[in-house]
Order: sequence, then structure tokens, then C-alpha cells
Amino acid sequence: MLFQDVAKVYPLPAGDVRALDGVSFQVDRGEFISVMGPSGSGKSTLLNLMGCLDTPTEGDIYISGTRIGDMSDAELTSLRRDRIGFIFQYFNLFPLLNIIENVTFPMMLKTGKGVDPERGREVLRAVQLDDSLFTHTPTELSGGQQQRVAVARALINNPDILLCDEPTGNLDSRTGAGIMDLMTELNRNGTTIIMVTHDPHIAEYSRRTIRISDGRIVS
Amino acid sequence: MIFWEIAKRNIRLHFLRSTLAMLGIVIGVVAIASMGILGNSLVATVSDSLSSVGDSVIVFPYAGGGGGFGGGGGSSENMKITDQQFQQIKRAVAPSVAIPVLSTSERMKVGVGGDDIVASVYGVDPKYLPDLNFELSAGSLNNANSGCLVGSAFAKDNNIKVGSRISMGTDGSKGTLRVTGIIKERGMSFDISTDNAVIATQAWFENTYKTENYDEVVVKVKSGQDTADVKVVIEKQLNKRDKVVSVMDSKATLASIYETFGAVTTFVTAIGGISMVVAGVSIFNIMMMSVNERVKEIGIMRSIGTQKKEVMSMFVYEAAIIGVIGSAVGGILSLVAGYAISALMLQSTKYLFTFATAFSVFEGVGFGIVVCLACGLYPAWQAANLNPIDALRHE
Repeated sequence: MLFQDVAKVYPLPAGDVRALDGVSFQVDRGEFISVMGPSGSGKSTLLNLMGCLDTPTEGDIYISGTRIGDMSDAELTSLRRDRIGFIFQYFNLFPLLNIIENVTFPMMLKTGKGVDPERGREVLRAVQLDDSLFTHTPTELSGGQQQRVAVARALINNPDILLCDEPTGNLDSRTGAGIMDLMTELNRNGTTIIMVTHDPHIAEYSRRTIRISDGRIVS
Repeated sequence: MIFWEIAKRNIRLHFLRSTLAMLGIVIGVVAIASMGILGNSLVATVSDSLSSVGDSVIVFPYAGGGGGFGGGGGSSENMKITDQQFQQIKRAVAPSVAIPVLSTSERMKVGVGGDDIVASVYGVDPKYLPDLNFELSAGSLNNANSGCLVGSAFAKDNNIKVGSRISMGTDGSKGTLRVTGIIKERGMSFDISTDNAVIATQAWFENTYKTENYDEVVVKVKSGQDTADVKVVIEKQLNKRDKVVSVMDSKATLASIYETFGAVTTFVTAIGGISMVVAGVSIFNIMMMSVNERVKEIGIMRSIGTQKKEVMSMFVYEAAIIGVIGSAVGGILSLVAGYAISALMLQSTKYLFTFATAFSVFEGVGFGIVVCLACGLYPAWQAANLNPIDALRHE
């Protein structure tokens, strides 16, 4: 992933807000990076751009060699589905679907077919979730278990990048450490991870840290 | 597909709400379809009771003017069609056949010791009988001078068979007629209403009532001629100076009757349509609720790679499920309602299982589904076009 002189400007009645200004960096395959910064620093904007939920006002972003600047909504959506795995602070599982369905949801989007339980089980075992929980609904699981399901869902389409937004922010420290151990292991097995956090302890798990302040990279 | 599954589960999750919305659609479909059924049955009832007169034009003496001939005003002979006028009509309408008809009502008695009854008596020359297309249930058209044909209802009520004798007038003062044939039920007719009548010969009628003028002239219009044209021709010929006859075009009259019923049916169906609009509003309402309470979920779906059209399909499925189930239930209930209304208002349900009924139900069900989809479309479109970033942040 490559950011070249990226700026994001939000036009507001009181004047334009430059949430990001001249941001350039590169993420190589297999890296484990954390992005840190106080609130209002432009972290969320950066996350949205990395996640292809938004396009830059200035500059270029390349993901796996593809420039995302002038893609249509449908193209960006497909890119998110196939190349990026999202992990959220609040797990964000679908309450109407059971665990296997939640995990294989992005796969169903990609193939247009129904649940593939084999692949679902394979990924759930990779995130060390107990087999007996596979047909439960998300609300019957603990926070840590839900986040493991969310990780499995993010991994199902073999994405190029795993994008995490405060993945442990809603977990107690012991459970959070478990999730971080899982992340570390996934990274050791070749998954590229970018994690946005404000928690320095969590950031220590990564191998490189990008610090951001007032829309600029400071280190 | 997974979105179909989600739609189903969401309806199940909000079972009461969905059921109430379905109930609205059920009521709408029942209102439209049962009104349609009622209208169709009404038309069928009326057209059944009107005889198939075919293409005929009936000429009556003009009742409004007070008489142009002889200026006599009020004398009953002036309220008739003269033989001279009849000849004019006959020439004007050729090759269609003009049939002079005499009519009155008379007191009569059937058999010995029977009650006095009153019925219509017509005088028609036997040579015209084939042109009137009477279908007989018994006997023959062969109408001797003192013979007569009787209508089906008249025959049934008075237990008359071929060969029965009817003594005409008070205490048989007008002689006796022998029944040679019984005419099948024809229903109410524009030319000669036979069901409750005695059809005697013209000669007998003229002898008995000492009259030479006719009460009406029935013109059986030959195919190839238009009833409206025939009507105009007659009016031109006879009403040159003064209006002496009124002319009725059976086809046009029938058409206007059906038109009126059609308008009534449309009107009551439109009233039913109002309840469908209300149902549509409630579908719109619950779909908007469904979208609003799932904004976050939509944001998650969009962020992990769900296309707009997939989000849209999920909500359209939801509206479609409610629409199809509600409309189907409504379709079934409308048959029940149609049955009840027909039975209560028309005292008959024999017109219920017809193509027209099937069409009314189909129309109601189709309209119900269309309304549901239409009302689900905007909420679905709104859901699909939510900004994923804002939707994700929504709590």
C-alpha cells in the first residue's frame, strides 16, 4: 500500500478542514504497522482512506498496485470485499446471522453462493474458536469470542491487508492480549496488518509505528 | 442467497409489526377484489335477466306530444302506430324485417275454477314468429287462429301445458285460447317480454279488441346493417314534421346499461383502492423503520464489501415477502368476502366462479404486490445510498 502526498479536505460552512495534509508512506507486504495519534489528529480519516471507504482530495493511494482515486463506488466496494479485511472496535457482527454465516458473509458476497461451512470452520479454527459455538448467534458469545469471529470474517477472502480499528478497545486487557497474540501469529504467517490505536501497550505488538498529529505524519 | 435469508429473519424478528403491515395489505386486496367481484356479479346478474335481444330496434308511439295526427290529443288510438306508419317503417328498414306488435293486459282464467290472473297479451302475426327467434321448451310455433304461445314463468305459475286452454277476459268474455307452445325463459326484453305473457295471433287480437293500429314495431336488424343507422332512418322518415314515434336502439341501450354498471364497479373499486393506499403508507412506514434501526448494520455491510444493489435487494425482498404473503392471504379472503357479499346482496353466488372473478382477484393481488414493492423501493434506495462512513459511526 502506497500513500503519495495524500490530502483530505472536508468542506465545511466555516471553511475547509484539512483532515490530512501531505501524507506519504508505504506499507510492504507482511508488515505489522500501528497508526497512533490523539483524537482529531486525522487517524479516522486515514483509516477510511486505507479502507477504501473514501477517496483522497489530493494525492494518490495505491493498493496492490491499483490506484483508488477515480474508482466508482461499485469498484471500491469490490476492492474492500476482496483485498481488505476489517476489524472494528465493537466487533460489528450481524445479529441476524449465526457464527458460520457471519464468518462466511464476505465470501458469499464474493461468490454469490450460499454458506461454505468447510471454509468457515477452517478460518474459525485458525482464530482458535471452539467448534461448539459455530451455530450460535453473536449475542451468545463473549466479547473476546466475538472479536475472534470478526477476525475470522476479515480473513475469509484472504485479503492483502487486515485493517484494525482499536481491535482491543472494547475488551479487558487479558482478552485483548489474547487477540493481539492472535494478530501477531497471523502476521508471522504472512498477513499484512495495519492497526489504528491510541493505546501504546497495544502498539508495542507491531513492528513499526506511524505517529500522526494535525493531519501530518510526525514520525 | 444470504440477503433473502436476512430479509426473512428480520420479518420474523419483527413479527408483530410485519403482520400488521400484512394485515393492511390483506384489507386493501380484499377491498379491491371483493368490490370487483361484486361489480362483475352485478353485471352478470343484469345481463342474465336481460334477454339476448340481438340487434333490434323498437319503435313506440311518441308519448310526449299529444298527437300530431288529427290533433285529437289523449285518445288511445292516437297513441298507436298506424298501418300507414308501419308501411313507412317497413320500407325504410328493408332488408331488415319490421314486425308489428299489438299489446294489452288482460284478465284471464286457466282451467275450471281457477283464479283470475292478469297477464300481458301480445298480438303477433304468425308469419313473423320465426324472426322473433323464440325458443320453445314444448309444443310448436304453429299458431292457429285461436292458438297462443305462453311464456315460461306464466306456464309454470299456472301449471300450463301444451294443449291447455285459457279463457280470456272476465268470465271468458274474450273467448278461449289453446296453448300450442311454451317459450323458454328469455328474461326482461326490450321488444316483447314473453316470460309472463300470452302471445296470440294478430288476427285474434284485432278481432277481439277491435283495433287496427299497433302498439309497437319491432325491427330485427339484419347483419350488415347497423342498429344506430336503422334508428336514424326511421326517425327521419316518421318524425319529419312532428315527433310521432320514439325509437329505441337495443344495442345502444344495452351498451349504456353496461357502461353505467362499469362506472359503478370502477367507483366502488376505487374506494377499495383507498384502503390499499393506506396499506402502502404503512408498508412505507415499517420499511423506513427497518432501515433506520439498521443503519449501523448497513454501514458494516457496505464497509466489508456489500454492493449498493445488494443492500437494496435485502430491503426489497423484505417488502416483497410482506407484499406477496399479504396479497395471497387477501386474494383468498376476497373470494370469501365476494361470496358473502354476492350471497347477501344478489341472493346468488352462481356468478362467483367466473373468469371475471379470477381477474378481479388477480387484479387485487397484483395491485397489492405492486404497492408493497413501490413503497419498499424508496426506503431500500435510501438504505443503499447511505454513506458507509457515517453509517458505521451511527449508534
